[in-house]
Amino acid sequence: MLDLDALMAEAKRVLDEGVVEMVIGFKAGDTPLHPQPAFFTSSEEIDQLAYNALCQNNLATYLTRFPKTQKIGMLVRGCENRSVNALVFEGQHPREGLYLIGIPCEGIIDWRKIVEQTGEEVISVVEQSDNTMLVEARSGYFTLEKHSLLHESCARCIHPNPISADIVIGDLLPEGDPALAREQVAAFADLPVEERHAWFRQEAERCIRCYACREACPMCYCEECFVDHISPRWTESGTTPAGMQGWHIVRAFHQTGRCTSCGACERACPMDIKMTYLTEKLNDDMRRKYNFEVGLDAETPTPFSTVTLDDKSRFVV
Amino acid sequence: MSETPKLVLFQCQWCLFAPSDQEWVDTQLPENIHLAKVPCTGRINPLYLLNAVQGGADGVMVSGCLPEQCHFKTGNIAARRQLDEFSDFLNYIGYEKDRIRFLWLDLQDRGIIQKELAAFEAQITTLGPAQNLATRVSETAGGANA
Repeated sequence: MLDLDALMAEAKRVLDEGVVEMVIGFKAGDTPLHPQPAFFTSSEEIDQLAYNALCQNNLATYLTRFPKTQKIGMLVRGCENRSVNALVFEGQHPREGLYLIGIPCEGIIDWRKIVEQTGEEVISVVEQSDNTMLVEARSGYFTLEKHSLLHESCARCIHPNPISADIVIGDLLPEGDPALAREQVAAFADLPVEERHAWFRQEAERCIRCYACREACPMCYCEECFVDHISPRWTESGTTPAGMQGWHIVRAFHQTGRCTSCGACERACPMDIKMTYLTEKLNDDMRRKYNFEVGLDAETPTPFSTVTLDDKSRFVV
Repeated sequence: MSETPKLVLFQCQWCLFAPSDQEWVDTQLPENIHLAKVPCTGRINPLYLLNAVQGGADGVMVSGCLPEQCHFKTGNIAARRQLDEFSDFLNYIGYEKDRIRFLWLDLQDRGIIQKELAAFEAQITTLGPAQNLATRVSETAGGANA
């Protein structure tokens, strides 16, 4: 469990001492299941700061929405820290202008899994120290095992600890197992081609093109997305099969070597479309082919932004 | 399969040294092969491949210069990294990897493009038509195509 007081004290300190102009964190949202991102500019506001396992946004998304000259403090978990590193590498914010308050993350809870068991009218959610969640709902009290509620991408998380935070609040957690992430990709890749395509089509055809996945993703920061581009029109922009499939294919592909597997896209999707099986496949390829994992530092170039002549032996026909 | 397969050839404009070969590609390409000539394979956005695939191509061939002989130094290798991964990715969701072929064309070789295209066409003929990702509404069919 996180020491929230220590977190608030540190956030207050950096604001008071002028280390940063703003701290990006979470505060309680409209319902107990949805704490929401919050932007604190003075230490008095920090009292509203809240953090629990239901904080599902990737805060690094907001980094690119503020001027590069602004000094920003940010709560970062493992995946957020790596997203920040990737954004720093891509020149989206200078590292000197950032103060990262690290939180070792035990995994984000999928609120949909709570609602499945308790019904939609949840009154309060309390995180207990014995790895359970006490949920009070209209239909009664529930004590739910935390591990069974984890979001899928958190259940197979490899780096739960912030890597390059300026300060870490709490004890570091054991690293995850890359084999877990590999397992899912390998299982899917072993299916016959028709089944793979049937799954892909079934997921893509529910898409309503709201682009919530794009907005939730820290790496989707283009001023103009390829789907919004009018001339030339890169892909169909309606909810036609070609348009929906094209969006899912290319959105995922643009994350190659940049995706930190945080799963924010999937959590943001109102249609509950599975997407991480696509990006996990690309991440897995980057790990195997180029021995590259994004965000471990802010210097190593991504495989697609660099070339080496060693490749010629790999691609000989 | 009774019909001849529909192929798309992405060709780097520098990779065919022999004028007769280039002329054959420019003027005598069989009708089932759609030619997209690019300044370098590095110019090929993966979206081009996706457009070909969604538009109903049964096979896509990308021909570029040998490594170290790229007109723009490293365009072909940079492209290959992306396009190779993209074809892997399309394979993952249902467009067989055998349907996308990359060629390094040696400047010295004559007649190689004809041979390779014939071999590729034979391979695609045995695979049959690709329907999995061919989702685009054809322009002649009308409907929501924008």
